[in-house]
Amino acid sequence: MLSRSGLRGARLRVVSLTSQRRLLNHFITHPPEPIPPPPPPAPSSSPSPKQFTLAVKDNIATTIPGLPTTCASGILSKSYVSPIEATIITQLRARGAVITGKTNLDEFGMGSHSIYSHYGPVSQDTPPETSAGGSSGGSAVAVANGEVELALGTDTGGSVRLPAAYTGIIGYKPSYGMISRYGVIPYANSLDTVGFLSKQINPLKELIIGERGLWKEHDSNDPTSLTTAARKRCAAQRRGYRSRQGQTTELEGLKFGIPLEYNIAELDPEIRDAWAAAAKRLQDAGARIVPVSLPTTKHALAAYYVIAPAEASSNLAKYDGVRYGARDAEGASDASAGGVLYASTRGKGFGEEVKRRILLGSYTLSSEAMDNYFIKAQRVRRLVRRDFNRVFALENPLQERETFELSDLPEEVEMEDKWGPEEVDFLLCPTAPTLAPKLKGVMEQQPVDAYMNDVFTVPASLAGLPAISVPMKVATEGAAGLQLIGQYWDDARLLDVADAVAKEVRT
Amino acid sequence: MARLPTTELRKYLLTGQFTRRGCLHLRPSPLAPPIPPLRTLSTTPPTPSDQQPQIIPLRKQLKDQAKAAKLSGSPKKKLKKSDNQTVPGWDLTVGIEIHAQLNTPSKLFSPASTPSSSSDDAVHHHHPNTHVAPFDLAIPGSQPSFQPTTLIPAIRAALALNCHIEPISRFDRKHYFHWDQPSGYQITQYYHPFARSGSVTLYPRDGIAAEDGEQVTVGIKQLQMEQDTAKTLAQPNSTHYLDFNRVGVPLVEIITEPCIHRPATAAAFVRKVQMLLKSVDACTSGLEQGGLRADVNVSVKRTGEEELGTRTEIKNLSSFKAVEDAIIAERDRQIRVLEEGGRIEGETRGWSLGSMETRRLRGKEGEVDYRYMPDPDLGPVVIGGDLVERLGETMGMLPDEEVGVLMGRFGLSERDAMALMLMEGRLEYFYGVLEELERMLGVEAVEGGEQRHAMLAANWCLHELGKLAEAEEVGEAAAEEVTSQVPEQDLAAILFYLHQKKVTAKVAKDLLWDVFRGTIATGGVTEQIDSQDLWYKEITEADYAAIADEVIEGQEKVLQDFLKFKQGKSKAYPQGKLGFLVGKMMRAGPEQGKGMDPASAERVMRVRIEQVYLPRLEDAQ
Repeated sequence: MLSRSGLRGARLRVVSLTSQRRLLNHFITHPPEPIPPPPPPAPSSSPSPKQFTLAVKDNIATTIPGLPTTCASGILSKSYVSPIEATIITQLRARGAVITGKTNLDEFGMGSHSIYSHYGPVSQDTPPETSAGGSSGGSAVAVANGEVELALGTDTGGSVRLPAAYTGIIGYKPSYGMISRYGVIPYANSLDTVGFLSKQINPLKELIIGERGLWKEHDSNDPTSLTTAARKRCAAQRRGYRSRQGQTTELEGLKFGIPLEYNIAELDPEIRDAWAAAAKRLQDAGARIVPVSLPTTKHALAAYYVIAPAEASSNLAKYDGVRYGARDAEGASDASAGGVLYASTRGKGFGEEVKRRILLGSYTLSSEAMDNYFIKAQRVRRLVRRDFNRVFALENPLQERETFELSDLPEEVEMEDKWGPEEVDFLLCPTAPTLAPKLKGVMEQQPVDAYMNDVFTVPASLAGLPAISVPMKVATEGAAGLQLIGQYWDDARLLDVADAVAKEVRT
Repeated sequence: MARLPTTELRKYLLTGQFTRRGCLHLRPSPLAPPIPPLRTLSTTPPTPSDQQPQIIPLRKQLKDQAKAAKLSGSPKKKLKKSDNQTVPGWDLTVGIEIHAQLNTPSKLFSPASTPSSSSDDAVHHHHPNTHVAPFDLAIPGSQPSFQPTTLIPAIRAALALNCHIEPISRFDRKHYFHWDQPSGYQITQYYHPFARSGSVTLYPRDGIAAEDGEQVTVGIKQLQMEQDTAKTLAQPNSTHYLDFNRVGVPLVEIITEPCIHRPATAAAFVRKVQMLLKSVDACTSGLEQGGLRADVNVSVKRTGEEELGTRTEIKNLSSFKAVEDAIIAERDRQIRVLEEGGRIEGETRGWSLGSMETRRLRGKEGEVDYRYMPDPDLGPVVIGGDLVERLGETMGMLPDEEVGVLMGRFGLSERDAMALMLMEGRLEYFYGVLEELERMLGVEAVEGGEQRHAMLAANWCLHELGKLAEAEEVGEAAAEEVTSQVPEQDLAAILFYLHQKKVTAKVAKDLLWDVFRGTIATGGVTEQIDSQDLWYKEITEADYAAIADEVIEGQEKVLQDFLKFKQGKSKAYPQGKLGFLVGKMMRAGPEQGKGMDPASAERVMRVRIEQVYLPRLEDAQ
């Protein structure tokens, strides 16, 4: 993807950007020389893959000396070099990735603006004014700034799509279980996916569904990675995997659903207009635009903010400074006084937002609150998935087919025939309800207000569906994201169609 | 033919090893005595006052208890335990939770080998932190990888306890902070266990209280799989080392229904579970070796009341005696509190060896909220019916059946049969010796229901080996190791010669000591007898007669008793007097009875008295 001279050019640009980088604060670790991929195992019959530059979100484990894995948290600190390499890093390095550094994020991925970092907030402009989105804000800025061709992020409830929308690039969250999470430091395991950020869709297509497509690779280290047999079974029910020949990106005849429930009061009018304009353009290009109903949408955000912190409170219990990471050696040990030895290590190591979510999660899992929060949220999660299964023409290959009561649908939904409303290929909606906000305003916000930004991205995460955010032109200056959501394992077609949609709505 | 025990099979199939003595066998090095674990199988947060309950060898424990009893100087005579199984007017209810280390080659969720599986190298397997995968240390980004082989001993255990195997079970995370729990949670199965609804039937020979009659059945609520914790090794200067070898080793937790009503029966239950688990090769070692751990829930109510009283939990009991004593103490404490008009608090209590009372560890307010959550990385465990069926078929004999075989086929007493089964590895050793002995004796000697050789072997495996273990020079730790110092083939050789009367019992015992001390090399019993000329060479009939005559010299008074019997003046044959004379004969013989058989001596003596001396006396009259 990058020729030799191109790589040299990238290096030159790196030097000239040093001062700007300090202001943007999008890297946590940025070695002076990028790290080339390991030589292919000898004897190698195939030629070395073309190299490309890659920035890695700092919650993805790397074993390379000088590249600590901090999760932007004080509790791991820059002294922590992981003993295990994330599978996605191994896979990308084998495909020619030249790693330029580890990017800044919201601590452990918890945030929507990349401001809750032990290493300071990220901005997408200089002087620092505008939010880069979060939590993969550092990765998004590295791409938007032209420093790398591809960046790795993680997406738990929108952490790749939201910064992509705010910075005007492409952010793609694959189907849950497609890309190995081994070595991706978990925030909420049942929602976490590796995500990809790029200015172009082609490199993503190459990576996911190209000749050495990642979609084929099961990882036995990740128990949630789909088995090879399941991958084949899912792909057999989809288009775009087996043969890449003759894949057209025709919009003609495709059906896009507009979720009625996404037209919320908080939606910025400018974005609502852009969304409508985008739908119009697709219609003009021959696509059908169909209003659909996802009735559980209004509960999805609440369910997300119960499930994700609950899993986070559990995942983060391991950080105690005993085996790795920072340890508060100054405070007296509370071990003998009925404490747990490392209360002060955890107290000092974690940032505010992480502590907030640990407390929230600890409460919702407590025996007193479990039934009312965690169990109910799981129920909502199932309903969200059901909503999606109902509107998509394709079936979810991981689930039994369900039947639906037509009487449950809102009245606005038009029936296609006596069997029910029209079923769609993809959902079309904004990625975020507003344009990229100013950092000043964000920092003054109540934490719960920031949770609002995830309202359109969380449902796909809860259902494990593939989703992609492409840049969409808005009337005034600035960028907004247009999100496409597909049925499970429809990633190949989603990437193809996103390419076509992006061309329609870019200008 | 001796039965091949499951333990043998497993070792051979999984690690390619025989424990049969041979060139492959490695004797435990005296330089690396087994380190007793400081804290075992604790799957709940220890309280500050009880962070490291020590595993104390049983022998020392008994000594300490005796000492404690002496110190407390209670002048009152202690009630015998058999008299203390019930308190009139009160009903006791006990439920038990047993944690047992599963005998598996790998950990539950990582491919790391378990410390107990690497029996190839006794030194190596005690090296700290050598059996650890990234997941065991909770390295960020590492994920669990369920090891299906751990299911085999788990299902065997469940089948041995008569459980129904659930086709689908699930893993939850149980959260609490302790440095020996790296991830901050234990992965366990409380809500969706892999086995439910089992039962264990106990008989008087299992040691149940007399009040429980001929048999009592204890219901088992469920069996669940879970992870063990790391080991804390205390160092000087308030330093603690952590050994993560044990972290993630699979445990099975056995939870009974609250249906036990006598303390002795509770102890008998734990003992029987241990025996059952051992017989199907499901667990690594017994209660007193730290491979098993019991918690008991105790409540009392007045007789006739419907509802159970508030229960308290006594944690980490490490011996059968502790189980019984702790229940008695806690029952008596609860009754005392209630009789004084008090209330029982639901709380966790501890028990130290040799004490008279349980002590409070933490109350309800101090309870940890475990915040159970389904583990999002782990799918359900699906157990196929075919697997369960297969494991059931290949499980071998269960203890109750085995006791029957030992008593019926080999003529052992119930007591000896139980003793063989309860001692670590002793039953397998017995079968090994017996097999070897039968081989030497040949088919004819064994067939036809002859049991003498088997009883002889059992007697020596239990009692003569027991004497070795008690010897001063052995020390406490080696008590279990006796069998490893006496190769099966050597004991069989000794028993063969003894059985064939080729050596005397005394010589046989001396030979055993020589083997035990290593003065006889393995396989060298025959050679030793040859070189030391220990063969039993019986003296001639004439020699016996001569010695008899020598002994009778001047015993006219004694002879009178025989005469009285002969003449019908006394009713009983003076057997005692005969024994007295035979004893004198044995002492008077060459080298203190060398070459003499007491039976022959008795026979000759009797003949001499009746045919020579009594006629003389009669003549004299």
